[in-house]
Formats: sequence, structure tokens, C-alpha cells
Amino acid sequence: MAYKFETLKVLVVEDNKPMLDLTRSILQTFGVGKVIPATDGNQGFSLFCEENPDMVIADWMMQPCDGISLTRMVRNDPRSPNPYVPVILMTGFSEKRRVISARDAGVTEFLVKPFNARDLYRRIVQVIEKPRQFVRSGSFFGPDRRRISSTVYNGPMRRAEDMLVKTPGDINSGDITFSPIGERD
Amino acid sequence: MDVQHYNQPQRRKAEYIKPPNLIKAKVGDGGLTDNILDRAQKLLENNSVDFGPLADIYLTRMMEGINRAKAASGDEDLEYLIAGILYPCAQLKANGGMFHYPLVTRIAERFVQFMEVVERIDPQMMEIATAFHTTIRAVVAGKVKGDGGQYGNELVEALNGACMRYFEKHKKSLEKK
Repeated sequence: MAYKFETLKVLVVEDNKPMLDLTRSILQTFGVGKVIPATDGNQGFSLFCEENPDMVIADWMMQPCDGISLTRMVRNDPRSPNPYVPVILMTGFSEKRRVISARDAGVTEFLVKPFNARDLYRRIVQVIEKPRQFVRSGSFFGPDRRRISSTVYNGPMRRAEDMLVKTPGDINSGDITFSPIGERD
Repeated sequence: MDVQHYNQPQRRKAEYIKPPNLIKAKVGDGGLTDNILDRAQKLLENNSVDFGPLADIYLTRMMEGINRAKAASGDEDLEYLIAGILYPCAQLKANGGMFHYPLVTRIAERFVQFMEVVERIDPQMMEIATAFHTTIRAVVAGKVKGDGGQYGNELVEALNGACMRYFEKHKKSLEKK
């Protein structure tokens, strides 16, 4: 048995045409039934409202409306047909503060470019198999920022570093999987 | 009871919502086969996109950012000036490796790391930015695809050395203070 991706509708928002075409081709090779292309966040949001896709894959740096602004609109704009839709953000940045800022905008997964086909597939599997619960608190609405799952727990873990040592398979620099200690939503 | 840090009433209530997993319901189980993933990877590796014109756009924007920073009077917002150089370089880092220029990605990534931690704009930093720009332009113009071998390593080491000397210099100046 395999995933039936032909039933999926994915919105890809990328202002770099070759990259948009490449991402679309990879998704089509995965068997995705409908790939909706858009070239910036504003067009992406219009198509999102029109098509109500199952997933959004967006580049971070776009003009005039970037992937972070698009994510905020998807999560908070009253016109949004599905504020819970998974958003995978593609970017050349991998520095922690950038990841945190994406996470705080409501991004579900973070995909660092350049990536390979399996990297993209892993992010898609992540949103299918390990969906995040959502949190509404004060000015934040988005996927729970504190997800860290461990399947190999074998004792007390009191430090963030312990988690990194004990569950290396669960921590991926491309994912938003860490949580600042003491954070309270 | 004394009010301590941990026994105060909660001030910011969070509402947790577990949306239905509509995607899972649609796609079912089982994942994709290795055969499909290999085909997707091959498609990615065999793409025939000419990176040159794309790189030119980002290199031009990066140079505009460098020139803007050089011409800055000191009143401008530092983060704005840095972003003008950093963002196009992050695009080079992101796209080089996607379109057969991993050496561009490697060089640009080093520069992104450098720019993420600098705290000021000064002539030496501008020299380093220009050196990175010139090197990336040369790699693209020379169509140095792949990792560039020994030549690629030497380029990266030279640029890395420039960054290290910059940090060393500023570390010393901080120690003097």
C-alpha cells in the first residue's frame, strides 16, 4: 500500500521560476494530483482562498509579499478558508534566529535549500504523520511550537541538551523541533 | 500562602486545538516507494536550468547592497543595510546547489554565516563582501559546476581565512576596551 497523493492539492509559492518549476515537477513525480503555482505571497493567498489546498509550500524571500507574510495571512486573515493548513517554508537560511522567526509566524515545517527529493518528502511525511496541535494565545495563533517527540525515552531528561543526545533521530536542523526552555504559550 | 514564582495564577491562557488530520484521511498509509523517490531525485539532478541568468540577478542585487552600504552615512538602519547584502547572497546559497553549482552554495553559505554575526559595517567588512561577490561571480562565469575540486577548496579556504582574520581583529579590539 502506498500514499494516494493523487488526491492532494498543493499550493507552491515561489518567485524564482526555475525553482517553482522544479518543485512542481518533484511533487508531480511524487504523484500529487494538483499543484497550484503562485509567484508571490499575495497571489499565493488569493489562490489559497480560491482553491483551499491541502498544503502550502512557500519560499521565504519573495517580493513584494514573502513567505512569512503569506503564512500570517493563512493563519490569521478572516478570508482564510483553512487556518490550520500545513505550511512548509523553503529558504536558504538555516540560522536558529531565522528558524525561530519562521516558527513564530506559524510555519509548520522548515526546508533548507538546497534540498534533495527525500528532504522535501520527509517534510511532507512529517505534516501527514505527525501533525501539530494548534495554539491560540495572545497574539500567537499557529502550530504548537514545543513539539519534541521521543520514542527512545529511557530516563529523566531535565536539560535541552539531554534531549539532543537522547533523540538524535528526532532533531533535524531543517525542522522546527526545538523549544525554548521556559516558554509559555 | 506566599506568592512565589511557580504558584502564581496563569496570566496568559492558551487554547489548544487539535484539527482533524484531513491530509492523512486523504492519502492513507504506506509512504512512497524508493523507486518514486529515486525518480524524483534523478529529475532534480538532471534539471537543465541555466543558473547563469538567475545568479546574475542575485549578484547584481548583492552588489547594489554592497554599494549602498559603502555609501551609507551612518544614520541608516544597520539591519537594513546588512539585509541588502545578505538576502541576495542567501538566494545564491539556496539556488546554487539546486542548479548544479554546489560550490556557489558553499561559498555563499560561508558569507551568510559571516554576515549573520557582524555587528557593524566597516571598510574591511566591505572588502570581504566584495571578495565573496567577485569569487561567486568568477565561479558562475567560469561554469565551475560540482564542488570545484582542489580549486574550490582553495577558494573557500582563502575566503574563510579573510573572515577569520576579521573576527580575530575585532576580538582584539574588544579585548583592548
